[in-house]
Amino acid sequence: MGARDKRRLPVQQEMQMLAAAAPLISRSSSSTPTPRSAFASYLVDTDDDWAAALEDTPRCQIDVDATAAEIGALTAQIGRADRFSRLLKAPTVDLQALRALAWSGVPPELRPVVWPVLLGHAPTETAKRTSTLAARRQEYYAGIAQALRGGCDSAVWHQIHIDVLRTHPTIALYQKETTKRALERILYLWAIRHPESGYVQGINDLATPFFQVFLSAYTNDADVQHFDPAGLPKGIIDVVEADTFWCLSSLLATLSDHYIHGQPGIQRQITSLRDLTRRIDTRLASHLEHQGVEFIQFSFRWMNCLLMREFNVRSTIRMWDTYLSEGSTGFSQFHLYVCAAFLVKWSKKLLQMDFQSILMFLQSLPTKSWTEKDIELLLSEAFMWQSLYADDKLMKCR
Amino acid sequence: MRADTHDIPTLKVLLVGNSNVGKTAIFERFVDDFYDPETTTATIGVDFRSKIVEVRDTKVKLNIWDTAGQERFRSLTSSYFRNALGALIVFDLSVYETFEQLPLWFRELRTYSSDQQVATVVVGAKLDKVGSRVVNRSEGMAMADKNGAGYIEVSAKTGVGVVEAFEMLIGRIMDTPALWKDGDVLARTDSVVAVDQVEEGTRYCGC
Repeated sequence: MGARDKRRLPVQQEMQMLAAAAPLISRSSSSTPTPRSAFASYLVDTDDDWAAALEDTPRCQIDVDATAAEIGALTAQIGRADRFSRLLKAPTVDLQALRALAWSGVPPELRPVVWPVLLGHAPTETAKRTSTLAARRQEYYAGIAQALRGGCDSAVWHQIHIDVLRTHPTIALYQKETTKRALERILYLWAIRHPESGYVQGINDLATPFFQVFLSAYTNDADVQHFDPAGLPKGIIDVVEADTFWCLSSLLATLSDHYIHGQPGIQRQITSLRDLTRRIDTRLASHLEHQGVEFIQFSFRWMNCLLMREFNVRSTIRMWDTYLSEGSTGFSQFHLYVCAAFLVKWSKKLLQMDFQSILMFLQSLPTKSWTEKDIELLLSEAFMWQSLYADDKLMKCR
Repeated sequence: MRADTHDIPTLKVLLVGNSNVGKTAIFERFVDDFYDPETTTATIGVDFRSKIVEVRDTKVKLNIWDTAGQERFRSLTSSYFRNALGALIVFDLSVYETFEQLPLWFRELRTYSSDQQVATVVVGAKLDKVGSRVVNRSEGMAMADKNGAGYIEVSAKTGVGVVEAFEMLIGRIMDTPALWKDGDVLARTDSVVAVDQVEEGTRYCGC
């Protein structure tokens, strides 16, 4: 009844997809959760090389009654994937070019490959990639073994444990035991290796986009948010866990004083957000001030959790494509402009509100259902503010 | 003191206590009469809600600040203690350690809530967790007495005691001459900013 006829795409389009390297809209019938082939050699150590894996034949089907617009969108998608593929297949990935391309979004299938390169977790040199990743994973496993040997710091472990239990409580993936145990280990190792900050609530949220993205390489097109990783071979879980750890570590390294005593990095960002808002939207800034609303009251969480509490995880992942493409300042600098763009978006509403209403509104914004389009508009606005004010700021410092 | 009789006194109150004792659940049950353990995440920083309630035939507006329990946020959350009139100090009836930490919370409140007195109520939470109670009632009451606080046990899950906890707190604010006189609060502010902004009074009124 509901099943619509499918037909194969014309040959030339299929050829394009071959080049695109990503199984764009393939639907595998296999029920065993084996790694999706394009990433198998990348994420788990095998003898195949990465470039060869990218040559994997994608399967593509399209609805017979697809509209011209749908086909157009698909073609554009394939074109983008193709450009990513060409960059990734080079002996040395051109990081600048990859950043420029990824800024506008990474195809979901390629994120498990692109993100580690953007973060510096995977080297840009293809020849070094497999061995480097294998070494880093071994380092993580050894770190975990050592950290857990002879008992652990129970206070740290307890805090992590109670927070992992309440991480994304509405998403099935995070209710699975395998996921929870992996997150506990990741957060624990990071905490004890960074005693000056230790585990701070909110860092648990920051680990999840990585975990979800890396896991998605092995879910056979099943929705990763409903996936139970318990069915995967242990070696694969370990790889996802290790890569999540290193990528989280890279991210947090760019926010070095966010989570130490007094959280000076966050305090500084909040002050910058206030200053920025005064320039972008003077009326709103003075209204907030007149109402006695302080920026720390609503934007502390924006900084501590990088807006993850205001958006769903999928939106966050799309945001991070851009943040990661901004280089080492994505999470510390560009984020500020995203926050400013985000705040002034509600300006009209906020100007009508008093103290109580403002705070209550800003603490539960109607953004849980935001789509990729909304996020992309926000990112563009942030880019605009950054272009306008970033240099200005530099001038002031001189 | 108040020219406009429709102006409702605003009371700044706090929810404090260790991580995961159920502060946010109590907060949500009270403000929205809502409880869903499935959607509870750790509070980051401080959450704010406002609610008008009537106690002893007097309408008051409660501005409630629900604070994060983790130590790292202490320097942030303690800045909200300033000018608070009252605080619910919450512990988990089923986790003894959260009870043992109560003196620490009393000390924090005294240190950071400026020089005025703060009315306090010790709240034993998760009363519904049958069989896992490790703090008995008399022990809890003794701790509260010793610190000049009220004592109540609640369940955000069933709703038992939640409204009463806030009413008890408001009652204690009204009974504290340094906080309340002639049907009005002597000091009030919603903000973590300076007290001088408060004197304008009308700023926070309305809805």
